[in-house]
Amino acid sequence: MRFLPFDYSVRNLGRSKTRLVLTILASALVVILIMSAAAFVRGMDTSLVVAADASNAILVASGSEESIERSQIPGNTASMVAADLSGIKTRFGMPFVSPEIHVALIVRSEKEGGQEMRALVRGVSPGAFLVHPRVNIVEGRSPQPGKDEIMVGGLASQMMGVPDSRLRIGQSLWLDNRNWTVVGRFRARGTVMDAEVWIPITDLQVATKRDTLSCVVLTLGEAEFDDVDAFTKQRLDLGLTALRETDYFGSVMRFYKPVHAMIWTSALLVSLAGLLGGLNTMYAAFAARVREIGMLQALGYSRMAITFSLMQESLLTALAGTLVGAAISRLLIDGRAVKFSMGVFQLVIDEQVLLMGLSAGLVMGLIGAAPPAWRCLRLSIHEALRAA
Amino acid sequence: MFAVKFLPLIFKYVTRKKIRSALTVGGVATAMFLFYAVHAMQQGVREATEQSAADTKLVVYRQDRYCPFSSQLPQDYATRIAAVPGVKAVVPVKVLVNNCRTGLDVVTFRGVPLQSFEEGFFTHARLSSGSLESWKNRSDAALIGQKLANRRGLKVGDRMEIGGLTITVAGILDSPEPQDQNVAYTHLEFVQRATDNKVGIVTQFNVAVHDPGQLDKVAKAIDDEFRHSQEPTATWSEKNFVARSVTDIIEIVNFASWLGWGCVIGVFALVFNAIVLSVRDRIRDHAVMQTLGYGKGLIAGLIIGESLILSLSGGLIGIGAGIIFTSWGGLSLSVEGLSIHVQAGLDSVLLGFAMCIFTGVVAGLAPAWQASRREIAACFRAV
Repeated sequence: MRFLPFDYSVRNLGRSKTRLVLTILASALVVILIMSAAAFVRGMDTSLVVAADASNAILVASGSEESIERSQIPGNTASMVAADLSGIKTRFGMPFVSPEIHVALIVRSEKEGGQEMRALVRGVSPGAFLVHPRVNIVEGRSPQPGKDEIMVGGLASQMMGVPDSRLRIGQSLWLDNRNWTVVGRFRARGTVMDAEVWIPITDLQVATKRDTLSCVVLTLGEAEFDDVDAFTKQRLDLGLTALRETDYFGSVMRFYKPVHAMIWTSALLVSLAGLLGGLNTMYAAFAARVREIGMLQALGYSRMAITFSLMQESLLTALAGTLVGAAISRLLIDGRAVKFSMGVFQLVIDEQVLLMGLSAGLVMGLIGAAPPAWRCLRLSIHEALRAA
Repeated sequence: MFAVKFLPLIFKYVTRKKIRSALTVGGVATAMFLFYAVHAMQQGVREATEQSAADTKLVVYRQDRYCPFSSQLPQDYATRIAAVPGVKAVVPVKVLVNNCRTGLDVVTFRGVPLQSFEEGFFTHARLSSGSLESWKNRSDAALIGQKLANRRGLKVGDRMEIGGLTITVAGILDSPEPQDQNVAYTHLEFVQRATDNKVGIVTQFNVAVHDPGQLDKVAKAIDDEFRHSQEPTATWSEKNFVARSVTDIIEIVNFASWLGWGCVIGVFALVFNAIVLSVRDRIRDHAVMQTLGYGKGLIAGLIIGESLILSLSGGLIGIGAGIIFTSWGGLSLSVEGLSIHVQAGLDSVLLGFAMCIFTGVVAGLAPAWQASRREIAACFRAV
């Protein structure tokens, strides 16, 4: 089969420069939308996947498996687990057990009045640094109990809606009528912890007047998850349920599936509207070239070769738009912090998202050209040559 | 007269290129569906958060808290709140949600005292099925909101297990209040015992006041009453309380409003594109019409009419689909036990059609102007 030269497709693109520019812009817009939706979903999922450690188990109150924030377990659970459960990972004799309180609180810039800021606060002990190895102190030190000290994550300022300078070391915040000083800053990149404020657990218990914990996180050494599960079943008096950390964050991801579906549906509907508009343009563009197509057939080019050439034109335009869209997404969307009820996560434009944008561009190019091309090529040669 | 006489001609123009018109109408319908859905979300936020002059309800919460799990107030505050001048009724409420994050399928349990429904606090609501007696007689009974019942397919007598709580549906509550539609009202002690077993501790107090004009004054008096207590309070009007708690959802809806305006631009682009293509195909027709004595204004009117029909047809399908979606879908965005319902009223429908008419007319203006000012000879030469 004899194909039309590639130049023929390229030169045809310049026939109507306005149409070319508009089609490229429309393709770019669709790709940006698809990539934004994908970046949102990827960013949210990544922050949950990265936060989960396969060797970690979480003990929460029975009935609170969906949400650690609502869980309340006895305050001495951590010490009982460390004493009764063998096979927990240790380092220099210190078990990887972290009693924690997860609570959403309002902190203030001043004692009376001032700006109200919402913070995700985690009450922690030194064990937290063992079970959450992704947490690294990048500035200052960890807070000491009894001194009203706090440590903030790299994205905590985004969560609280204040400039990053407001949470520098030495700055102070008011929480439950007490003044807390920032003594350290940490990063837990790509995880929900990065948006949190960490406070010594005993100080948080005093401030919030609670004697219970939200959960106990432990890292398994020789023990298996079934051993932890068996412990909770033996100690029914504690009202505990054991969860693998990966399973817990998996359930959080499932909880957000309807939100993801809503985002995808919106992006796809806008893309569909764009595609229908694009099809309209292509129909008109190809319909005006019926006689030319008839002439090409008369010159001996097969319908397949002409279709291939028309597809090339459409694909070139769509891919140009895809490149523009991908570049804009990479520059403007990648890494942007998004505040959500679970904390703050960053939009991710990675290889998978880029591939998705590229695929969307390809599909758009193919679908945009196929029906109009087929419609033009239906005509016989003499019908096409007679066409005005 | 113009419209009636030339309507058949305009319809012929629209149906002459069936694929083009179908694609345009399809695109407009898709965009208007999204526009309507976004407006329905905005309407839901307004319903739940905009205070009116007739509002008489306050919510007393623990100071510096916004999550139901961290707001813990002694139940005996109720007596002191009731004694504040201007207070009509007080209901202590223990709130429990299956998940405190923002989601589309969150169930909120509200434990209230048995006598709450008799003390006139729920006069705005009625039971569409079930009975108050059966709710009182079972400790695990719940009166559930209409939207929750529809979403989960629940009816009186059904049992539901969620978030570690198993309840029996004793009645379906039909209430115009947005916050009553996605909840399960249970016995106060049932929720207290099911969570942290702290009988005597509640999440909030719902307060009714006698005079709507005294709302702020009463709120301040309540906070002053507990200013030096171990658990100080923060009191808001109910709508302000919701607005403060659902900022996440408001952010999403504000972001979505950009999408809504993007849809309007999309509709304009689609119709404009279709009309430009259509006018280009009909240059000779316009030349013939001008030769036969049809005025330039009439030609412009026909083009704008065609644009309007395309836009309105798409709008009719899109808005119709939107009405079905929001009516049957029963979607609610919830966070911290409070819900924003995706619901649209007549004003959303009217705004949708107004947008279609506006974009239809504006999209047709430029091609109509261009076609009407073209000389007859130039039209014939252009073919």
